Amino acid sequence: MLTWMILVPAIGAVVIALLPRHRPDLHKLAAVLFSSVGGAIALYMLSQFHTRTPGFQFVQNSSWIPSLGIGWHLGVDGLSLFLLALSGLLFPLAIIGVTPHEDTKPYYSWMLLLMAGSMGVFVALDLVVFFLFFEIVLIPMYFLIGLWGHGNRIYAATKFFIYTMFGSALMLVGIVATAYLHQSASGGRLTFDLVRIATDQSIGTAAARWIFLSFALAFSVKVPLFPLHTWLPDAHTEAPTAGSVILAGVMLKLGTYGFLRFGLYLFPEASKTFAPVLLTLGTIGIVYGAVCATMQRDLKRLVAYSSVAHLGFIVIGTFSLTVQGIEGGVLQMVNHGISTPALFLLVGMIYERRHTRRIDELSGLQKVAPVMAGVFTLVMLASIGLPGLNGFPGEFLALIGTFRSARWWGVVAASGVILAALYLLWAYQRVFHGEPTEANRSFRDITFAEGLVMAPLLVLIVFCGLYPKPMLDRIEPSAKALVVHVAKYANDVDARDVELPPVAAAESGK
Amino acid sequence: MMFAQIQRALPTPEVTWSALAPQLILMVGGVLMLTVVSLFKKQPPKGVSAAYAVIVAAAALISTIPLWHRVLNPKEGPTGLVSNAIGLDGFSLFITGLLCIAVILVALVADGYLVREGIEGPELFVLLLLSASGGVVMVSANDLIVMFIGLEILSISAYVMAAMHARRLSSQEAGIKYFVLGAFASAFLLYGIAMIYGATGSTNLGDIQTFLSQNVLLHDGLLVTGLALMLVGFGFKIGAVPFHQWTPDVYQGAPSPVTAFMASAVKAAAFAGMIRVFSVTFGTYVLDWRPAVFALATLSLLAGSILAVVQTNVKRMLAYSSISHAGFILVGVHAASKGTSAALFYLAAYTFMVIGSFAVVTMVGRTGDGRHSLDDYKGLGRSRPALALAFAVLLLAQAGAPFTGGFFAKFGVIAAAASSHNWSLAIIAMLTAAISAFLYLRIIVFMYFEDTGDASAGVHGPSVRIPRAASFAIGIAVVATLALGIIPQPFIQLAKDAVPQLSSSTP
Amino acid sequence: MLGQLSSASDSLRQYLTVAIFIGLGLLLAGVFLGLSFLVRPSRDQPQKYLTYESGVDPVGTGWSQSQVRYYIFALLFVMFDVEAVFIFPWATQVEAYGLFGLVEMGVFVGILLLGLVYAWRKGVLRWV
Repeated sequence: MLTWMILVPAIGAVVIALLPRHRPDLHKLAAVLFSSVGGAIALYMLSQFHTRTPGFQFVQNSSWIPSLGIGWHLGVDGLSLFLLALSGLLFPLAIIGVTPHEDTKPYYSWMLLLMAGSMGVFVALDLVVFFLFFEIVLIPMYFLIGLWGHGNRIYAATKFFIYTMFGSALMLVGIVATAYLHQSASGGRLTFDLVRIATDQSIGTAAARWIFLSFALAFSVKVPLFPLHTWLPDAHTEAPTAGSVILAGVMLKLGTYGFLRFGLYLFPEASKTFAPVLLTLGTIGIVYGAVCATMQRDLKRLVAYSSVAHLGFIVIGTFSLTVQGIEGGVLQMVNHGISTPALFLLVGMIYERRHTRRIDELSGLQKVAPVMAGVFTLVMLASIGLPGLNGFPGEFLALIGTFRSARWWGVVAASGVILAALYLLWAYQRVFHGEPTEANRSFRDITFAEGLVMAPLLVLIVFCGLYPKPMLDRIEPSAKALVVHVAKYANDVDARDVELPPVAAAESGK
Repeated sequence: MMFAQIQRALPTPEVTWSALAPQLILMVGGVLMLTVVSLFKKQPPKGVSAAYAVIVAAAALISTIPLWHRVLNPKEGPTGLVSNAIGLDGFSLFITGLLCIAVILVALVADGYLVREGIEGPELFVLLLLSASGGVVMVSANDLIVMFIGLEILSISAYVMAAMHARRLSSQEAGIKYFVLGAFASAFLLYGIAMIYGATGSTNLGDIQTFLSQNVLLHDGLLVTGLALMLVGFGFKIGAVPFHQWTPDVYQGAPSPVTAFMASAVKAAAFAGMIRVFSVTFGTYVLDWRPAVFALATLSLLAGSILAVVQTNVKRMLAYSSISHAGFILVGVHAASKGTSAALFYLAAYTFMVIGSFAVVTMVGRTGDGRHSLDDYKGLGRSRPALALAFAVLLLAQAGAPFTGGFFAKFGVIAAAASSHNWSLAIIAMLTAAISAFLYLRIIVFMYFEDTGDASAGVHGPSVRIPRAASFAIGIAVVATLALGIIPQPFIQLAKDAVPQLSSSTP
Repeated sequence: MLGQLSSASDSLRQYLTVAIFIGLGLLLAGVFLGLSFLVRPSRDQPQKYLTYESGVDPVGTGWSQSQVRYYIFALLFVMFDVEAVFIFPWATQVEAYGLFGLVEMGVFVGILLLGLVYAWRKGVLRWV
């Protein structure tokens, strides 16, 4: 079933490419259809997911290239489940909500290909399959930014592509090294299977550290982690609205998910060794991103920098190597993926009406568009991390986790919460409060169609903020299993109070 | 004295003609066409000569299939023919198949090209077939002299083909340059062969391998010098740095279909010869030639990708990128026996990618084959979307994009480097892959992201015509590239089965 | 290693003879030319710098275009000359090679003949 989830959007991309060029309505219809089917499969899996089991579910393990040891191994666990659901939700929303002005056919084709690729990344349990999907999302994103973006789009798209590709170039060497070292250490056949290599843990410490670094480099570019984040502001700002939505909602999570699955799970000892470095970079990212966001004059760029800050929380949560930290990280991944795309959609709406994103040219919008102002308030407060909305549980858990094992990093990171309030509230005040100028007086309020697109996101923002338990029930077992796994191979990882549910205890025993 | 010898007849070599089928078909096909051309004054009707070339090459390709089964049959296995001067094994059949495919695709593209440029006569197809037959001889050669003969047939036909476009000065220049430098390289190769003969006492590869396994040379200066000279000769043919100086000029000046053939078939045959000589025959001397190949590989990778980035002419860009591809394949050669199948798979994927790319270049060159600057690609995405998409797929495949043959090709050679624990080479290879990605993106940028203001003007310059045969060839190339990326297992298995074996006359 | 040196110098000694011969030749030529340079008078006249054309006044410029037909015939001559060189050894032992050799040489000559026919048909062999 997972293969179908990936294949349906891919087939959709091919189908749209074959449609005649001059029927944009057909293109959109086909795109909505295929992406919704893919999303529906993801949501179906969400409903069928067994809670309280830490292992992989819906596993599919067929042979693909036995000569090279590469198998088509797919599976979902608590860590990746909600990322899949998020993709399944965001892509149809982005496709329905935003219509490009020209060249609809390639646009929807690329979007569907991007959907297939992103979903593939989250379910891949084979190193090479993961790499293939990790890399293939670059191409549609490049074209989406470059062809349908604004202003400096070619520069932004090229920078994005080259940056990410350099990052992952070394990761391929790392992947190959992992497989071959694993083979020579444990005998037997060459395999790239993640689960087998992670459970065998037979690669030497020094080699594992080097390989972890190569992986970390690729993921740091993707997350993005300071100082490899410079591609993000340009890419986010120049991308079309749907592109920004997907970029912020899904693509950034590829990096953080990679850290969890291919950092902590695959190289637990190396993760512990380099945890201080990554914690530091994450904390710097939180503060630096927030400070930069405060100084921005472009609204979209401000939101872009806020992404850098929010993802810093995820990174510190991950590398705190505690259950709460990892849970918080995953939760924050999902919640950031709801609130920030919502922000981008709103900024997109503002741009649509006023053709400017500069904060000093916008003012007093609250008077002319009160509903939009209200929506913006809700989303903005979620992004700040107000308790009761979905931004809070993730950040809070991440901070608790960090406090437990890396106290001072946690202290500095907590200040980032306040900074988030600073830049967002200030931006809101400048844009929405005050008196509208001439140009802003004719600002239309949010339309029904746009509201329909925003509605699911708003509902989730409130629901996940007030009642995150269903999500935590599914995330927690996998997070606990991961911490136990890391504790087994690394020193000073505190897993004493982690009790696995009884079913899982039997599973981890084998 | 002479009368006494007349009584005794010399033993004639036993020739299994059926096993020589691919060579014979290609050679006889070429000679037959030449005969027909010589005897009849009238030009053959449009498309007939191209169709003939395609049919002959397809026949040669089909004839390799029963031979392949024969080789894989454990009862028969690889054999030596013509008293062990020619070997029949999976390796030679694999490359033979590649050469035939290259001829088919190039013939399809060249048909429309010749009509467009007004070049009369089927000489190009004759030379194509003869060149391919020379390549087949070279890759199945079990003797250094036979390999040299094959190389010369391959090269000389290529020299003439490079100069085929009589009206373009750059074509003549390319032909002369290729010829002179190629003659030099062949001289180096021959000198190396002579030294190896001096050191080992035989030019038969099987005998040399037996000799080296049974004897240890105390003073091996002669042998190592011979190896070095042969490396220079082969290095020229594959276009490795620092023997690459001819590649950009010749690739740029030669007619574009011919460039496609040179970049794919000539390189494949030369690499095959190199693998047979170095990895198989002189496997025991691997510690001597491996550092040299390391240097060649590194320089080719770096120079190929870095120099390509600063070009403004697409043909030159692709020439430099083919130098960096040669560097990648050299990474596979560097891994000696562990990297042979990776190098073979890379050659196969690369053949399709490069012929497809140069076919597109042929189309966009328009009449006169002169429009190859980046500006001439502006707006191609709008005026010829299918062609632009095909080119984009092929370029991204060359960059190593996932789910294309290019990715698994690069993956194979990196895995080969990893299995021999050569991490520095693997890292350099991947970094240069990232550098050359920028180069391919540039072309894509020009095709799709046209600059402001020119959106309504359409493509820059006269319109691009795409003859049916050429579009068919490009289609095959794209489909093959994607197939190698999505279901690579059968082809990887094929490459793994194509293990080079040598047959020696001494049991 | 000493044995190596003496054997090396044996073959090298033969080259020494050649070297001395060359040196003497150069010396002789140099002596003659040098002596004549010192002894002869030097009177510059423009006619002395004209191109030599067997005593008569030179006609036309020093450079002239050769006809391409000379090149073609020279090329064809070289090719068939080398072919003859290859036929000679075969011809001395033709009975030993039997039918196989006859057919093989027939193929060889046939292909070259085909080249000649091609050249003939393309009009390359016409003199005018």
